[in-house]
Amino acid sequence: MEAASVAAGQPAHDTHGEHEEHHHGPPEANRSSRVEPQLLGMLLFIISEIMVFGAFFTAYFFIRVVGGADWPAAGTELPKLIALVNTCILVSSSLTMHWALESAKSANRFGLQAGILTTFLLGSTFLFVQINEYVHIGFAPQDHAQGTIFYGLTGLHGAHVFIGLTLLAFTTIRAFRGHFTPAEHRGVEVPGIYWHFVDVMWVIVYLSVYIL
Amino acid sequence: MINPLRSEAEAFRFLIYVVVVAALIGVLVVVGRAIL
Repeated sequence: MEAASVAAGQPAHDTHGEHEEHHHGPPEANRSSRVEPQLLGMLLFIISEIMVFGAFFTAYFFIRVVGGADWPAAGTELPKLIALVNTCILVSSSLTMHWALESAKSANRFGLQAGILTTFLLGSTFLFVQINEYVHIGFAPQDHAQGTIFYGLTGLHGAHVFIGLTLLAFTTIRAFRGHFTPAEHRGVEVPGIYWHFVDVMWVIVYLSVYIL
Repeated sequence: MINPLRSEAEAFRFLIYVVVVAALIGVLVVVGRAIL
């Protein structure tokens, strides 16, 4: 019947048989979420990360609230001002990350490359200052519980910054190779979400460890 | 609660929100310690 209608100059209907004829390969994977799979993966990863940080914060609040320990330990001092400058550096890197993605969406290649490279450099600066702080802080993780918690929380965050920098390194290389377009920029968006998450965690770590 | 990390733009807005709230808490703590 379909062949007859085509032969008569009428458009063919999209019947089930025709759909099967044009479909190649395995059936499409079932999607139970409205979120894109790549974004969903990143969200599940971040949720697991929140639980990891939660365990470290539990230890921190336990020794301070339940244990009633001094913070920081007697005879030690935390470099609040340097950490504040480092916080500003990290928050600035989120601004440049946002600029990079907005540039990618608007086909501004210079903005994308400058934004992503600046983000990488600011993140590297943060990590360098953090390591320098460890060198000069004057206590070690094994000295007391406060030292263990301090190095545990800031070290866990530092490890996340390192992972974020690794992602940003790949994104930077891809940006300079012209891989991103206004239509396809997920390679900037997903590391961007991760980077902002790392910054949010640092703001909470800084407030808890250095200020409270 | 809507997930604030659905997109980069929403994650960025969430970061700004966290920075503002943390700054307010920090100022309150510093002022409170100075008064008490």
